[in-house]
Amino acid sequence: MNDKTFLAELDAQSRVKQEEFFDHIASRLQRPRQKTAPIRTLKGAPEDWDRYELSLEARITQFVKHWELAGGHAHRLAAMKDAVLLIQDMVRHTGAKHLIMQDQPELEPIQTALLRTKEELQREEQQDINLTIWNAHGLDDAAKGWLVAAAAQADIGITAAHAAVSYTGSVVLPSSEISGRTVSLLPTMLIVIIPVLRLKTRLGEVLRPMDEWPLAERPAGIHFVSGPSRSADIENDLTIGVHGPGIVHALLIEEA
Amino acid sequence: MLMSIRADHSTVQKTPDSVKGRAELALNNEFLRRAVKFTTERLKSGKLAAAEEHGNWEEWRERGRQIRLHTIAHLDYYLEQFVNNARAHGVHVHFASDAKEAVQLTMRIAKEKQAKSAVKSKSMVSEELHINHALEEEGIEAIETDLGEYIIQLAHETPSHIIIPAIHKNRHQIAELLSKEAGEDLPPDTAVLAGFVRKKLREKFLEADIGMTGCNFAIAETGSMVLFENEGNGRMVSTVPKTQITFMGMERIIPTLDDLEVMATLLPRSATGQRLTVYMSVLSGPRRAADADGPEEMHIIILDNGRSLQLGDTHFQELLNCIRCGACLNACPVYRHIGGHAYGGVYSGPIGAVLTPALNKNMAEWDDIASASSLCGACYEACPVKIPLHDMLVYLRHRKVEAGRGEQAEKMGMQGFRFIMSDAKRLKMIAKLGRWVQKPFVRDGKITTQIGPLKGWNAYRHLPSLPSETFREQWKQLEQELHASGRPTVHEEIRARMEKLVAARNQSDHMHAGDMARSSDLQAASRLKAAEGERRDER
Ligand code: SF4
Repeated sequence: MNDKTFLAELDAQSRVKQEEFFDHIASRLQRPRQKTAPIRTLKGAPEDWDRYELSLEARITQFVKHWELAGGHAHRLAAMKDAVLLIQDMVRHTGAKHLIMQDQPELEPIQTALLRTKEELQREEQQDINLTIWNAHGLDDAAKGWLVAAAAQADIGITAAHAAVSYTGSVVLPSSEISGRTVSLLPTMLIVIIPVLRLKTRLGEVLRPMDEWPLAERPAGIHFVSGPSRSADIENDLTIGVHGPGIVHALLIEEA
Repeated sequence: MLMSIRADHSTVQKTPDSVKGRAELALNNEFLRRAVKFTTERLKSGKLAAAEEHGNWEEWRERGRQIRLHTIAHLDYYLEQFVNNARAHGVHVHFASDAKEAVQLTMRIAKEKQAKSAVKSKSMVSEELHINHALEEEGIEAIETDLGEYIIQLAHETPSHIIIPAIHKNRHQIAELLSKEAGEDLPPDTAVLAGFVRKKLREKFLEADIGMTGCNFAIAETGSMVLFENEGNGRMVSTVPKTQITFMGMERIIPTLDDLEVMATLLPRSATGQRLTVYMSVLSGPRRAADADGPEEMHIIILDNGRSLQLGDTHFQELLNCIRCGACLNACPVYRHIGGHAYGGVYSGPIGAVLTPALNKNMAEWDDIASASSLCGACYEACPVKIPLHDMLVYLRHRKVEAGRGEQAEKMGMQGFRFIMSDAKRLKMIAKLGRWVQKPFVRDGKITTQIGPLKGWNAYRHLPSLPSETFREQWKQLEQELHASGRPTVHEEIRARMEKLVAARNQSDHMHAGDMARSSDLQAASRLKAAEGERRDER
């Protein structure tokens, strides 16, 4: 049996079973099957909460505070060029060898600059940098596998956030062709670029519009990241970098 | 996209068999050391502040409860909506009435994939299934990847806490276990031990054929599943292996992502005191054709396994609202005193004491746990979706007495209860220390030493038997003891609830045993009894 027929057979069985399954639920609830959308009087967060709205300055302050309390590092930067300088500096000071970054358009200045850094460091015979850009366009399975392998050995991963939430201190990272899920997961250190206009106060401001996203545009993975990977499993003692990045830098870019 | 950069990874291409083969995994300590030095080191203390109190907590709890109540009341509708939307994203959805069916489905998929190994992220549902055992019988390696679960697996034990599974092991014991695995002596240093696990498990992630996860919430509106976690292994198992299999309790549904804000506020705060877990992943189907990572195939197995028994049961339906946060465990003086292992089932603490008999369709075997719970109401106060666990605990005992079974067990339970309550003053002090699990509890000695008196109770054959008492008389005693143990406000609340229960009981007292099934209070008891019979037949 090939994979397709196997899956088709499983799916056919599932569709038969599901009727029995749903009917059973309805019968336990002592009513007929509910076929139309139930009326909801309450939805989402309490109404008072929806009125909680901070100014941009307060959002930035709150994000920085919460991100740092969770063990992350935050940097307020006036412009993208400052982010470029900071990252170049980080690469030099940490001796990073393998870098991976998304091919998101907002990261272009960083791509260009890191290429320059790479050449400079080569000339100075200081450091041999390997920079991988995540863009799966037109790649076959083997080439896609190479991207994941590059992420797995990367010292630093760089991504831009779709949004950020100040109250929870979170960045929101959806997957796409030019935005790999492993880029924010496998490297030892993660750098997230956040244009401040994308910074919201509440989680609901990011989640609610996502209910409306058309099926075809819904990413396979949307990751909300709120600090370094951590565990308290050994004697309730905090350990960072258990599986995901143990060091996370949020770069808030204030230019519009 | 700059082509000159693309050229970079073509130079790396050497042996393209597996991702693991391609990636040179190093512990990379040098980079880590310098990266930490580059920035201010603020994790020195090894402790992070818990989130400050969230305003209007009561309002949020009530909202959480309302969302769960609404969803469960229309479970068939929301489940169907979820299934249709998940399928539209390319998910293969399956249904399992019991653990056996879920295991069969999993094994069919695993065999079809010719899987050699499966990496798992922590999930209580997979514990219900004993899936590791089934996989291992087929020669498929099953690897737990949460730091704590991995430790527990190496020790061949079961988790003792929903959120902190290895709470009963200390650093030295863990170092010993991991040293065996490493083939060298590892020091009992948390960072070193975690570093070893990181490298070891990363190899496993990259070579595994299947990733297995649980599911904290499923979103009906979008067909998404949501995972909350701190380590990143949930993301690993749902991103790196080609095939993802997710086990989902059929009650995990919420209607929309909008509602997720409420759950995302309640769950992490109640579980670990965080504003949000480090990772919250909203996963909608396998990777898209254009994506370079994410699973190629995604299966979601929706499991009943006793859950539907609680539907339509006026006293226990609210159990389905549980979001598995573990707050009731941390709040429970009995749990803190005896640790999770004494509970015997997959779920421990107050929720386990009620859920285990409910899921197992068998309360007689488990009622010593219900009896041992102190009925102090701390579990209800801690519960973010306001499940009246202590009412349920009392009712569970009540039901058993009504059913005229286990008289001896009840007496034994009472002894156990007294045993706990005689410690009440000391336990009360512990209870006051707060809702979150903190070091003092772990070091308390009670949890780590696993004295497990609950299991011992069954062996106390020499205990003088109590005079036969009715439930009401027993309650009077409990009342007195509760009163003596403090918590006056809770005490009043409980008493009000108990009076209602007792009133219901008085009514049914006048009924002939044969009429019991007609009392709505007791219908469930007879159903349980019937179900128990069924269960025996299955064996
Ligand atoms: S019963 Fe309530 S407190 Fe206990 S695990 Fe479930 S949701 Fe959490």
